[in-house]
Amino acid sequence: MGALSLKNLTIHYGRQPVVADFDLDIRDGEMVSLLGPSGAGKTTILKVVAGLLAPTRGAILIDGQAVTDLPPEKRDAVMIFQKPLLFPFMNVQQNIAFGLKMRGDSGDRRARAVAHILALTRLDGLGRRKVHELSGGQQQRVALARALVLEPAILLMDEPLSNLDANLRQEMRELILGIQSELGITTLFVTHDQAEALMMSQRVALLLEGRLRQVGSPRELYHRPADPDVARFFGGDNFIQGRMRDGVFETDFGPFPVEAVSGNGHRRTATIRPEDIQLVTDTGDQPDHLPGTVKRTRFEGMATRAWVSCPSGELVVLTPRSGLSAGQAVQLRLPPEKIRIFPD
Amino acid sequence: MADPDAGRDARTRRAAGRGSLAVMLLPALMAVVGLFGGGLFLGILQGLGHLPGAGLSRLSATHFSRVWSDPDFLTSFGLTLYIAAVSTLVAAVISVVAALALSRLVNRYRAVHFVFQVPLTVPHLVIAVAVLFMISPAGLLARVAAAAGLIQAPADFPLLVNDRWSIGIILTYVWKEIPFITLMLLAVLQNAGRELLDVGRTLKADAWQRFRHIVLPTIFPALGAASLIVFAYTFGAFEVPYLLGRTYPMTLPVWAYKHYSDIDLLARPEGIATGILIAGMVAAAVVTAQALTRAARKKGIVL
Repeated sequence: MGALSLKNLTIHYGRQPVVADFDLDIRDGEMVSLLGPSGAGKTTILKVVAGLLAPTRGAILIDGQAVTDLPPEKRDAVMIFQKPLLFPFMNVQQNIAFGLKMRGDSGDRRARAVAHILALTRLDGLGRRKVHELSGGQQQRVALARALVLEPAILLMDEPLSNLDANLRQEMRELILGIQSELGITTLFVTHDQAEALMMSQRVALLLEGRLRQVGSPRELYHRPADPDVARFFGGDNFIQGRMRDGVFETDFGPFPVEAVSGNGHRRTATIRPEDIQLVTDTGDQPDHLPGTVKRTRFEGMATRAWVSCPSGELVVLTPRSGLSAGQAVQLRLPPEKIRIFPD
Repeated sequence: MADPDAGRDARTRRAAGRGSLAVMLLPALMAVVGLFGGGLFLGILQGLGHLPGAGLSRLSATHFSRVWSDPDFLTSFGLTLYIAAVSTLVAAVISVVAALALSRLVNRYRAVHFVFQVPLTVPHLVIAVAVLFMISPAGLLARVAAAAGLIQAPADFPLLVNDRWSIGIILTYVWKEIPFITLMLLAVLQNAGRELLDVGRTLKADAWQRFRHIVLPTIFPALGAASLIVFAYTFGAFEVPYLLGRTYPMTLPVWAYKHYSDIDLLARPEGIATGILIAGMVAAAVVTAQALTRAARKKGIVL
């Protein structure tokens, strides 16, 4: 097992900077998701850690040892790609045993390790199958088995679930989580899916336009985004401008008492998640409620998303209440403790 | 319950589709079957001894068996096999090295691809003449070597055309076929090869292991198919050995031509029989190439 440190990584494609000043420390046995939209530079970072690309500057350390200049085959890191990329001219067990064979393990040892990993990845009985006879999910499990059998210090996963359908994806998530916690392999998991990042990892690192914007636990990133961009990436729709004055955040939507935030008199931006806004259809006059009119709604299964027009602006609300319709008069309550005011 | 009418409709649509496809292909098929098939039929007929102009009309396999038992035919067969095999082998080995070297360049420099496409358009005859100008005793290399003092006179330059080892012929084929095989291999390496190589690197394979266990199996179907096509072509080609080969022994196509154009009309059936045998070998090579390609596609290797 091993700890992974990425120090000040900067990566260019030609003259174009793709990743700038990227720092990340992953503890031994930890699973961290590298999250970001397409083109943010996630795969590039993974390839640099694997040794398939060279950084323009910066350092990569595994267990404190610099591996930046080592070729991929000399690093104790294995990468799983978006596509399974199995060797089409080998059967399942030959694919899985490939790395062991390259490492020079004996035939007996390879056979034992392959049998163990086939069971672990629920591929028993498929060892002699040709890879084109497997389903997409099975192929990705073989790719996982092929990487895990080497017992690498670092496991790098580049959106390995993105080509699977929803049910298979869920099944694979459970499998990966189970194996990762059982084997305790330090894992850097790349995804563009925020929900996947939140449920798969102990910590999430959000990358936007090649820059690391926030690292923290899934709850931290979800509930305490570092800036409006992070909030927006996690589905934040409501941004409120206001001014701090004596422990009160004064906005067009009303004053909100907040815990001590520096910058008395300064203008600030705040956000509140759509599901944190309370919506009531009772139009009786409540002092801390905002009157509004539903502009449109969208049914999202467990909840309904409603765009509510208030005198001070529009707010998006996610409510379990059903039966809302456009034009309906409602009242909104914005609990002060749910309002996140961004620092300067 | 499945709707039987729907199934019938689908079958009718498929049959109609096949019908219209056959109609569209008919003109081309008629030309191919009429010209090539007709020629082949007449050839087989003459090879079997049906040559009324020479007073031959009884069909028999005598000419085929006479060809097989002729020592000159077997010598020519050996020479043709040698030239085709060596040309194919040398071109294949150089192409593998070239494709590997170029596979990383092609993405960055599209011109590399273009440069390799150009020789494909040049006829073999032109390259044969170019080789003649370059390496014959009166050619450019001989003159340069003499001018540089490496040899006393151009005539001292080693004989590389119309020579015993058919070096001029092999050089022509190698020069002409390398781009063809290289482009075939590049297509495979560009499609799946590079990604698989990246996988191999992260799975601890060193450069030799990647070549042995990933590159070779990946390119093998394409290499096999391309090599068989090259082999078939070089085995059946006439103009290059006619221009750059010795008068004896001669390659099979030249041998067939000589017999066919002999003033003795009775030699013609043997020439034709030789041509039919060459066509048979070429057809076998093409069918094998097709089978290799199909097997590779079935395995998921893109060609």
